[in-house]
This record gives sequence, C-alpha cells and structure tokens, in this order.
Amino acid sequence: MPTMIWMEDICKTYRLGEVDVPILKGIDLTIEEGDYVSIMGASGSGKSTLMNIIGCLDRPSAGHYVLEGRNLTTLSDEGLAYIRNQRIGFVFQQFNLLSRSTALENVMLPMVYAGASRSQRRKQAEVALDRVGLGDRMGNRPSQLSGGQQQRVAIARALVNRPALVLADEPTGALDTHTSHEVMNLLTELNSQGITVVIVTHEPDIAAQTHRIIYVQDGLLQREPNH
Amino acid sequence: MVKAMQKERLSTLELPSISTAEILVMAIAALWSNKLRTALTMLGVIIGITAVIAVTSVGQGVQSATEANLQNLGADILRVRAGSVNSGNVSQGSGSATTLTWSDAQAIASQVRVAETVTAYLEQNAQVVYAQNNTSTTVLGTDTNYAAVNSITLQSGRFFTEEELENAQAVAILGATVKDDLFGSSEAVGADIRIQGQRYSVLGVANEKGAQGRDNPDEQIYVPLMNMSARLVGNNALNGIAVQGISVKVTEQAQLEAADFQMTNLLRVRHNIHPSRGDEDDFQIISAADLVETLSSTVGLFTIMVVAIAAISLVVGGIGIANIMLVSVVERTREIGVRKAVGATNRAILSQFLAEAIAISAAGGGLGVGLGVAIARIAATLFDFPFVISLWAMALGVGLSFVIGIMAGVIPARSAAKLDPIIALRSD
Ligand SMILES: Nc1ncnc2c1ncn2[C@@H]1O[C@H](COP(=O)(O)OP(=O)(O)O)[C@@H](O)[C@H]1O
Ligand SMILES: [Mg+2]
Repeated sequence: MPTMIWMEDICKTYRLGEVDVPILKGIDLTIEEGDYVSIMGASGSGKSTLMNIIGCLDRPSAGHYVLEGRNLTTLSDEGLAYIRNQRIGFVFQQFNLLSRSTALENVMLPMVYAGASRSQRRKQAEVALDRVGLGDRMGNRPSQLSGGQQQRVAIARALVNRPALVLADEPTGALDTHTSHEVMNLLTELNSQGITVVIVTHEPDIAAQTHRIIYVQDGLLQREPNH
Repeated sequence: MVKAMQKERLSTLELPSISTAEILVMAIAALWSNKLRTALTMLGVIIGITAVIAVTSVGQGVQSATEANLQNLGADILRVRAGSVNSGNVSQGSGSATTLTWSDAQAIASQVRVAETVTAYLEQNAQVVYAQNNTSTTVLGTDTNYAAVNSITLQSGRFFTEEELENAQAVAILGATVKDDLFGSSEAVGADIRIQGQRYSVLGVANEKGAQGRDNPDEQIYVPLMNMSARLVGNNALNGIAVQGISVKVTEQAQLEAADFQMTNLLRVRHNIHPSRGDEDDFQIISAADLVETLSSTVGLFTIMVVAIAAISLVVGGIGIANIMLVSVVERTREIGVRKAVGATNRAILSQFLAEAIAISAAGGGLGVGLGVAIARIAATLFDFPFVISLWAMALGVGLSFVIGIMAGVIPARSAAKLDPIIALRSD
C-alpha cells in the first residue's frame, strides 16, 4: 500500500514567556493509504498539536513531514492552504461551522476557495449533505441543528472536495453516546470507501472501532498504553 | 530520501484566486448581516460625499444663474457711481450731496468717443398713491436714454420726451408690479397718481422684466430727472444737478476698457482729482464683468470652505470604517480560522476584508452622490437657479469613496490575513 503520511522526528516547541516548552519531542509516524487510525493519550499530551501538524494547520518546529509523497516541511502558506483545501478534510470537536450561514453554505465553503462554479458547488454540497443524511436540513443554520447534526454538517464539509485524508480531533467529544455512534458509523463508512481516516479520542470503545491505535505520551508515540 | 520527493510538483500547489464577483458577494453578505452597524459606519462617507456633490452643484447653478442675470444687466454697459472705492463712503451717493452731476453725464456723452448712449439717474424710495391704493416703490429720476440703455420696453403708453425732461414735467412711467399694485387690471395711462403727495400724470407702463441683482425694475417708477431733482429730492450739487449713477453703453464690448480709461480721466479732470497728489477718486466705475468676477470668487470661496469641511468628514469617515473593520476582524477571528482551515489563502482573506471596507465606503459614496444630487435639485427648484450636475464632481465622489475604502481596509484586512489558523480557531 502506498504511504499516506510519513513523519520523521517531528518536534513542536511552544515558547511560554522566557522558556521553551517542548510538546512533541520527535514523532516518527507512518500511516498507509486507506488506514483507519485513532490517536489516544492523556489530556494535554499533544494529540491536537500532532493532528494540527498532520492537517497542515500548523508547522512543526523540526522534523520532516511527507504527505502523499509531497514534502510539506518547506511548503509555503499558499501550498499548505492548497493541501488543506484539496487533500484533507478536518473535523473539530466544536464543529466550527459559520453560525450565520446555512448548512448548505457551510458545506460549499471549501469549494468557494477551490474556485468551483456556483452550480457545481451546490450540486457537490447537496451530494455531501445527502451522504451524511442531512439532505432535508440544507437551509438550516447551525443554531437550528442538534450537536450531532452539526457534526454531520462538518463531516459533509470535510468531504465536499473529495479529500484523500479525513482528520477528526475528538469528533464525538461534545456529543452524547447515541449521536457519537452515528458520527463514528459515518467515519467508518468513509474509511470503507477508501478514505484514510485519523481520529483523536479519549474513549477506548470508540478507538476500538478503528484498525490501529497510537498512544501519545511525553511527546513521543507508544505502541501500547504505558500504565 | 526526503529531498528526492517530487519537488517539481510542489511549485504547482496553488489554488486559483477567487473571482471579484465571488468576493463581492461574500463582502455584501457579511455587511448585510449587520445592517445597523454597516449603515452607521457609512455615515461619515455619506455626509462627506453628499456635501461635496450638493455644494459643487449648487455653486455652479448659482454662478450660471447670476452670470445670466448680469448679462441681462448689460455686458456692454459701464456704471459710474458716486463715492470712492476705498473709503467706503459709497452711501454718500444716496440722497445727500453727491459729487456726480448731470453735466458729468453730458460731458461723457460728448467727449468719450466710445460711449454710445449715456444715461444718468437719481433714485429715492417713495410712497405712491392712486385712489385707495398705495405702494412703496423706488422712484428713479432719469433721462430719455434710460429705457434704451437698460432694455426697458413699454406695454402701453410712452416714455417722456426730451422736452418733458427739460421742462421738469410731472409725468411718470410705472414698472409692471407698481401698475398692478395701484391699478389692478384697469387702465393706468392718463391717470393721475401721487408720489410723496405730489401729483404725477402716468405716461406709460413698462413690460415685466424680473429682478436683477438687488434691483427689481418692475417695482420702480421713472420720472424726468429735472423734475425729481427739483420737486422730490430738492438738493443740487454746487455745479449742477446731482445724480447717483451714470450708465454708459459703449459702442462695442471690446471698448469697455477704453471707455473705463477715458471716463476715469475725464471725471478726474472735472472733479479736480490728482492721484499723483494722493487724491482718491470720488466715483467708481463698474462693469457687469466685474460683478460676475466678484460673485464667482465669493461662490468659489464658499465652495472651497464646504469642500474642506467635507474632506474632514471623509477622513473621519475613513477612520470610522478602519475602526469598525478592526473590531470586525477581532470579532470574526474564529470565522477567519474556519475559512483558513478549509483552504482560504491569506490573499483570499485579505481580499474579503478589503472588499468589505471598499463596499461600505463605495455604498456610502453612491448614497452620498444620490443624496447630493437630490439636495441640489431641491435647492435649485426652491431658490430658482438652474440645476447643474457636475459629472466630474460625481466621478470624484465615487472615486474618492473607493480610495477611502482601500485606505481604511488595508490595515484591518492585512491583520486578518496574517492570523495563524490555530490561534484563530482557538479564540472565541
Ligand atoms: N499555542 C500554544 N502555546 C502554548 N502552549 C500550547 C499551545 N497549544 C497547545 N499548547 C500546550 O501544549 C500542550 C498540548 O496541547 P494539545 O495538543 O492541545 O493536547 P491534547 O490535545 O492532547 O489535549 C498543552 O499543555 C497545551 O497547553
Ligand atoms: Mg486536544
């Protein structure tokens, strides 16, 4: 299988006042295309920091990151924006929908930046919303939708530009058990259609639904949880 | 291994830039979602542009109206008035002893070659009575040339003759308004009226002429100068009959300057004035062109003043837009984060916020142009001058509002574009 993510010695250091605080201390990570991976670890261990680097929202302080054979380490801001738009769909714990826009408008947003035509945008966004089971709620604003529905809109938005990789940082963290299952079923379905999916979660039964679990501890990856 | 990764493909990793129409739609949607704030933010630009458009338009209208009016007064006429230019004692001309005389007028007529027709006048406000009706008018004592020089025509009767002038006959010609006030629709010619208690016989009635500057010929009565001097005013200058003004029609407009020069010299000799000795002229010579010039400079000054105030309003308006845009960027930090997370480039964010600032300002400018034109239109109707739309002022207004939008938007838009997506997403 071709490699989706290849990371070598990724470090991330935050500067707090006068001191440098290392969060990631040399992450080596390889994820194959079509894989379904969950990242676990204690709160504050650096899971989101790692996800943001994988998702091209943030840059590592050191190390190399290759995505689908492209070296992203030295890529420009414009290049990273291209990757975020075309290759990656990001799902957040807090949904991060635009509150003044309808579900349909939210889903169309990535296509606006892809330069798609109005009709093309609409068509593809409708398909994506249908796919997450919200074909009948396209005109609703986020405030008119339940948490689970909002997260499904966010997943539709992540899908609309047909990414190769979907990243979800605690996608069920703000949801109850029932809707958590709906969202996980959706992500599992996406993976079964060939999309590489990486999620961050606290919950072992959610992680258990993925093919592989990675543990972050002390800024490094562990194969097994270290008790 | 890393270095070997297809470098050539990286150079093509770029999203197409968003179309201007797309950016405009986003900007207008954002502004529309906060209508009250948008409207208030526009206010400074609206006021500034409205003022610029209204004032330049009204200024041009007033100016062209006055020019037409003064042309009506006679472009080929020089007016001599008693009183000096500098000492401000022009008022000495009205009523009391005056230095300008009937013989000055006759001297100009006979000695200034480019003077075609010369007329002199003496004026005084007086109460005029006919039967039960009375009205206050200006009585002008003048000569037989007055009607020709001032383009006055009669609707009935006739002007007085040279003989009636010399004999100081008690005859009068009425302005159109005076006739209406005293006689209504009945016949005036041949009737007797009383001016300051003295009986005058009406010889003729003038056609309506309309106000000219501060004078309204329709509210005047013309009587022979000799009669007025003797019976109504009752004072003479040392060397003859005093007059307040002499109007001189020159043979052609090109001769105005020559006439001015010759008349000045003639009157200085006659009045024994030696500028070399430091004497001041006791008369002044004015042409319609002079009046147009004076008025233009007054209107120009007024325009400059209001435009300066408008400019201040525009600067303040621009600062207001910049301020609101900065607030808006802070409020929408999370939105910016979301947009960047789904692939918005720095340029796309910059364009969006710049477009919002320009849209606010340009909309304000457009409204200002509309409002300014409307105000100018209303003022033109209300004060009766031609409605002139200055295209360059409109273009300037719209152009200016664009520039203000760009200047006000550039700093907030750049601060939005530079936001780190992670930090932006974490804000609330
Ligand atoms: N921008 C930042 N500046 C400073 N410290 C940060 C920043 N972002 C995250 N951190 C710190 O890095 C650590 C890891 O954060 P995070 O990756 O969000 O952890 P997790 O997602 O595993 O809970 C935390 O201690 C957090 O306070
Ligand atoms: Mg986290």
